[in-house]
Amino acid sequence: MSSWLDYTINGLIVGNVYALVAVGLALIFGVSRLINFAQGSIYLVGAYIGWVAVVQLHTPLPLTIIVVAAAAAVVGLVIERFGLRPLQNSVRIAPLLATIGISFVLDQLVMLTFSPNPRALPSQLPDVRFQLGGGTIGPLDLLIAGVGITSALLLFVFLRYSKLGWAVRAASQDRDAAMQMGVDVNRVNQAVFGIAAALGGVSGMLVGMYYNQIDTAMSLQATLKGVVAEVVGGAGNVPGAVIGSLLLGLVESYGVAVFGTSYRNLFAFLLLVVVLVLRPNGLFASARQAPPEPLTGTFIAPSRPVRIPRWALAVAAAIFAVLPFFPVSFYVLQTLINAWLLGMLALSLTLVAGTVGQVSLGHAALLAIGAYTSALLSLTLSVPVGLAVIGGGLMSAALGTLLISPSFRLRGHYVSIATLAIGEIVSLVILNWEGVTRGPIGISGIPPLSLFGYDLISPSSVYWFSFAVMVVLALLQGRLLTSHLGRSFRAIRDDDIAARAYGLSLNRYKSLAFIFGGFAAGVSGGIAAHLYSYINHETFNTQQSILALTVVILGGLGNVVGAILGSVALVGLPEVFRIAAEYRILIYGIVLLLLVRFRPQGLLGTI
Amino acid sequence: MTTSVPEPLLALSGVNTFYGQAQVHFDLSITVARGHIVCLLGGNASGKSTTMKIILGLVKPRSGEVTFDGASLIGLATPQIVRRGIASVPEARRLFADMSVRENILMGAFVRNDRDAVAQDLDRMLTLFPKLGQRLSQRAGSLSGGEQQMVAMARALMSRPRMIVMDEPTMGLSPLYVDRVLELIRTINQEGVSVFMVEQNASLALEIAHEAYVLQTGKIVLSGPARALKDDPRVRDAYLGGSEAA
Ligand SMILES: Nc1ncnc2c1ncn2[C@@H]1O[C@H](COP(=O)(O)OP(=O)(O)OP(=O)(O)O)[C@@H](O)[C@H]1O
Ligand SMILES: [Mg+2]
Repeated sequence: MSSWLDYTINGLIVGNVYALVAVGLALIFGVSRLINFAQGSIYLVGAYIGWVAVVQLHTPLPLTIIVVAAAAAVVGLVIERFGLRPLQNSVRIAPLLATIGISFVLDQLVMLTFSPNPRALPSQLPDVRFQLGGGTIGPLDLLIAGVGITSALLLFVFLRYSKLGWAVRAASQDRDAAMQMGVDVNRVNQAVFGIAAALGGVSGMLVGMYYNQIDTAMSLQATLKGVVAEVVGGAGNVPGAVIGSLLLGLVESYGVAVFGTSYRNLFAFLLLVVVLVLRPNGLFASARQAPPEPLTGTFIAPSRPVRIPRWALAVAAAIFAVLPFFPVSFYVLQTLINAWLLGMLALSLTLVAGTVGQVSLGHAALLAIGAYTSALLSLTLSVPVGLAVIGGGLMSAALGTLLISPSFRLRGHYVSIATLAIGEIVSLVILNWEGVTRGPIGISGIPPLSLFGYDLISPSSVYWFSFAVMVVLALLQGRLLTSHLGRSFRAIRDDDIAARAYGLSLNRYKSLAFIFGGFAAGVSGGIAAHLYSYINHETFNTQQSILALTVVILGGLGNVVGAILGSVALVGLPEVFRIAAEYRILIYGIVLLLLVRFRPQGLLGTI
Repeated sequence: MTTSVPEPLLALSGVNTFYGQAQVHFDLSITVARGHIVCLLGGNASGKSTTMKIILGLVKPRSGEVTFDGASLIGLATPQIVRRGIASVPEARRLFADMSVRENILMGAFVRNDRDAVAQDLDRMLTLFPKLGQRLSQRAGSLSGGEQQMVAMARALMSRPRMIVMDEPTMGLSPLYVDRVLELIRTINQEGVSVFMVEQNASLALEIAHEAYVLQTGKIVLSGPARALKDDPRVRDAYLGGSEAA
């Protein structure tokens, strides 16, 4: 049994690792007001470069650290120069989406180069432990602490005594005023991305050595933990990020001590949500920064939507409706069924993110809630499947709205972080609430779809069912958008302050949007559960949330027809071109990047 | 060279500016003679701050020309324009709130590399603004509005500019500080720095300015030597909307 001191040491060491990631995030947020979702990917790249250096090139430890820091810094500079700088004058959501796309691309490149299988990353340090009070500490712990403290000192000296460091601080307090002093903001951005990447890369390498294992799943985890630590400390606040990281490390470590390992992440995300709700500026909010620009309004690329005549939509719907009568292969039907299910999720997200302006990154959680509800209703309570699916939709609507409601007072990027965290929390609760969800085992033997006592087993019947449900949801949503309610939604998105001044109750409207969107997503998840017949806590993951977001942007934010078109395109085109599964995510990432850069309003335009 | 028509240091000619669809400047032309104080007067939302942003390259005009010392500024980024010798005291001062007063003033010398001379200039600022001496290590954000205005002016002077552009330097200050600021502007100008200032308070500004322009919804409606404008009833009317002139 480890002692409390051991848990404390472990918490502080892990906190040091988080700090290396979070400090970079804080620097970047300070200068650009951007949450860099690619930070975890750089950490991943750092870990694999470390592996190449140690295992293949047999570099000594000090050289390994330098190589990793330098290589990661180059990656950071490339991201800044080619990924983000071209977006300088774009809408505010563009750089955020770009970093998401970049992270997908980097993760997939690492996976394709090194295979998804975990690898060992030996630390080259002697495996001894020293007694320290009632606990023990090893050379690797000391190395991590040393790297953390040294980096903090170097950063302090840089910010306090170098000219570029002054420019970084000035730009993060008032970008325009800094430019008027002659500060070249591009150089400042370059500097912070380079530093953030070097620290992040070294952090990834150290973590790999700490657990003597690296794999591609590290990336998202690192981003999430870094973001948690950074927001807890106060976004953009560098010392705050360090303290937030240590706090996060300790909370996790003590949480694990009391409840067990599978609770580690749950504590991290609960900490985040609590901080966001109680102190959205972080625990150590010091900076009276220049008031942040409004995130709404300019948040969405304005454009004139492409008008598609009603008859054309009717003809398209009719063609898809009669498709199973023609000799199309099972494979085509299967692909389109997936597209319709994704379409329902995209309808939900395009309403929430596009029409109301709440860019959710945790939408897969709504699928999961719907899927589990429907599966459990039909399995344990023998509710007919048709009703169970509706039950799933209702549960997603209710629970999803309830869970998200604490974040209604947040704006812009913070909504994205909060929804990401809530999505993770849902998945972790499913993992840990074994009495209801059967925990890590998952739920198997879910009955197939059925309607009024008839099982829908043939591909064409499943096809019709999912297509019909999606069309009904789309028609309802189209109606909603042209109604008075729809106009109020858009008013909230375009200017929430003005909307409030007109007496619109924001919370009520946001709730309504999430109720409607939650229902659509829940129904999609419910249907999926009965199609797959097996689900577990990883069936509906962040990748699907991001895929849905890509679909929505591809179609045009808020655009109902666009959401469906985007789903068909993103599910269908890889099939048409027979692209191997492992390249698909890479392609989604590239599609997202190209859209953000060249057609932010999507194919059909935003509404 | 005669004193009546000195060669202009700054010239805006035929500038048209838009924010999206909305036009803010209509064929705007303004010149600032070397060594002069020129004042741009106008009511709220008439486009005064935008004029400053055009000069500083923070906003790009859709058409028109801006020249400084004979060379065009169009297409230059803000830091490059600053390096040509234009310093600014922005609207609402915009200090770096979490940096100390000393750091704020020194940020003004960001474009310079002559460390010793910069240190001397810092001392000179403390004689020009004696009150700042005791506040050097204080957070700039914790100063009073008047003190912040002093820091903003010291910061602008630290680049040894040829011209300073100021956006409503007296806004929100007590009468005592207003007098002080105007006096300082005159002092700065007498040391050879040209000044282009935006003001709402016409009577104060006209006391120290050489020339003035009156801007009304993006158009220059009146211009000339400050002395002549001081007694011109149309100046006041411009603020009230112009049409109801007696
Ligand atoms: N970034 C911007 N985007 C869109 N419109 C803007 C922007 N900045 C200013 N405007 C609009 O341009 C017009 C002129 O603004 P400007 O700030 O130049 O006026 P001003 O004369 O300085 O006003 P004040 O006396 O209130 O400072 C105003 O109608 C303002 O609303
Ligand atoms: Mg103004």
